[in-house]
Amino acid sequence: MAEQVEERTGLSRRHGRSRQSSLAYGLVFLIVAYLAVFILLPIVQQFLTSFSNNVVGVDKVQWVGLRNYERLFEDDDFWFSVQVTFTYMAFVVVGAVSLGLLSALLLNRKFRGRNLARGAIAVPWAFPEISAVLVFLWMCNPTFGVMNVFARLIPGIDENLNWLSDPKLAMPLVIALSIWKAFPFTFLVILASLQAVPRELYEAAEVDGATRLQVLRYVTIPEITPTLMLMAVLMSIFSFKQFTLIWLTTGGGPYGGITETLVLRIYQTAFRFFDLAYGATLGVSGFVIVLGLTLLFVYAQQRQDRARRR
Amino acid sequence: MKASAHARYKIRRFGAGLAFYALIIGFCGAVLFPVYWMTVNAIQPLSHGMQFPPSMFPKEISFLPFTTLFENYPVARWLLNSLLLATMTTLIVLALAVLGSFAMTFLKWRGKGAFGLLLLMTQMLPEALVVIPVYAMYRNLGLSDSLPALSLVDAAFILPICIWVLKNSFDSIAEEIYEAALIDGCSPLGALIRTLLPLSAPGLVAVSVVAFFYAWNEYLFAVTLVTSPDARPVAVGLASLKVMLDTPIDRVLAAALFFSIFPVTFYLLIQRYIVAGLSAGAVKG
Repeated sequence: MAEQVEERTGLSRRHGRSRQSSLAYGLVFLIVAYLAVFILLPIVQQFLTSFSNNVVGVDKVQWVGLRNYERLFEDDDFWFSVQVTFTYMAFVVVGAVSLGLLSALLLNRKFRGRNLARGAIAVPWAFPEISAVLVFLWMCNPTFGVMNVFARLIPGIDENLNWLSDPKLAMPLVIALSIWKAFPFTFLVILASLQAVPRELYEAAEVDGATRLQVLRYVTIPEITPTLMLMAVLMSIFSFKQFTLIWLTTGGGPYGGITETLVLRIYQTAFRFFDLAYGATLGVSGFVIVLGLTLLFVYAQQRQDRARRR
Repeated sequence: MKASAHARYKIRRFGAGLAFYALIIGFCGAVLFPVYWMTVNAIQPLSHGMQFPPSMFPKEISFLPFTTLFENYPVARWLLNSLLLATMTTLIVLALAVLGSFAMTFLKWRGKGAFGLLLLMTQMLPEALVVIPVYAMYRNLGLSDSLPALSLVDAAFILPICIWVLKNSFDSIAEEIYEAALIDGCSPLGALIRTLLPLSAPGLVAVSVVAFFYAWNEYLFAVTLVTSPDARPVAVGLASLKVMLDTPIDRVLAAALFFSIFPVTFYLLIQRYIVAGLSAGAVKG
């Protein structure tokens, strides 16, 4: 009773606060324990496995020290897949952010039917990856695919192309599919940040007699730079994690892994070659990249926060 | 003289407006083309799709692709599995995300920054990094083919983002409202349930949609952890149509269309709330 009165009147603030924090620790413990079982412990386990010789079917699993890591550093296929990963990421990030920016600038103008157009561009974001893959495969079908109708409009092309099994086209196609799926999200976020740019800035620029391009260059872009950076980081996470869009379209092929990113290589090593130890080692290298991306994200986020507070 | 200059100006403006609309329509058309193409090939008889060059418009409309799809493949079963899986995932995520973002927004404690960082890192981990140990764990526990077990993994992976989304909506509630509820004699959790949750309905809906369709769309865990055809969710079933080369394309695309109707509708309806939350996943100590 006394406690209740005290709390109601706020007399025992300190007491209330310690109760608050024990509740908080209880709740947070629940969540951390949950994540630990399904995410953190598996990571630790992968880390341990990477020091063993665990291959499905091996007689005795034992520790082999750094042997897997030595193999990793000499493994050309690994370095190639790292190169593929970063190439894919770079194109998807640049493509999705710039296409998102362009469409946001275009649809930020006033015109009739604007909401309809905005809704239309948001559709691929809501579209399931599996459905996107199935349509895309049909469009790229070498015999009946509609892509060949478009390709034949280009002068000099009068034969059907092989699209996904063509080593020159596979990667650009997978990148295009990923950008198609990803840019609507950057579009929506950038559009929101364009609408948050203070009106006075535009009015001041108009008074100063700035041209449209100057307004874009000196008012709009600086104002939304933190958002653009944040989107670049989010897109690099999206593309680094991407499995479904690549696996179900090219499976990492054609010809020895032209589109095989690190994530696909990890999966292949464990589930096709049953080399669990080496798959885990590849996983650890992926984990290191995730740590780097996390730091980048925190940095981008703090910049955006500072910009917002300003 | 003056009048004709004005007329010229008007014509130029009209021309610019026309060019602008042409650009918008062309761009939206290009973006939506795959969706259009899927629909066209899912509602016309197979023979029209299997010719080159294909016609850009459906010449004849038929629901045969849909009816044969449901007759020849266990699509209803897949849908039921996916509904079950996605509902369980949503319930787990809702419960944990409410508690987590409540602790992040309204409670005072040390270590918020570290907790935020942990959430962020788990959010960035590719599923492929943990799928192997989780697969081994489930096999040892005899949990392969179990949809509840799969929903636990799906929920763990989408939980961090959902905590951010919900925190974003909690942030917009004034702290005084929470404190007033405490002064009225509510316990902290009572205040959460009675005053905070009703005020953050849009956030709760957004989290539900994000969690539901994550499980609905998720492929890697589902294809690895579920091996028996009876337990397959739609995502795996659909992908298996792709692998079976003899599946006629009209049925495949009818399935793709059917599978995408729900997420597209829901995402577009509450787009505003989801986007605000997804881009606000800030690390604030």
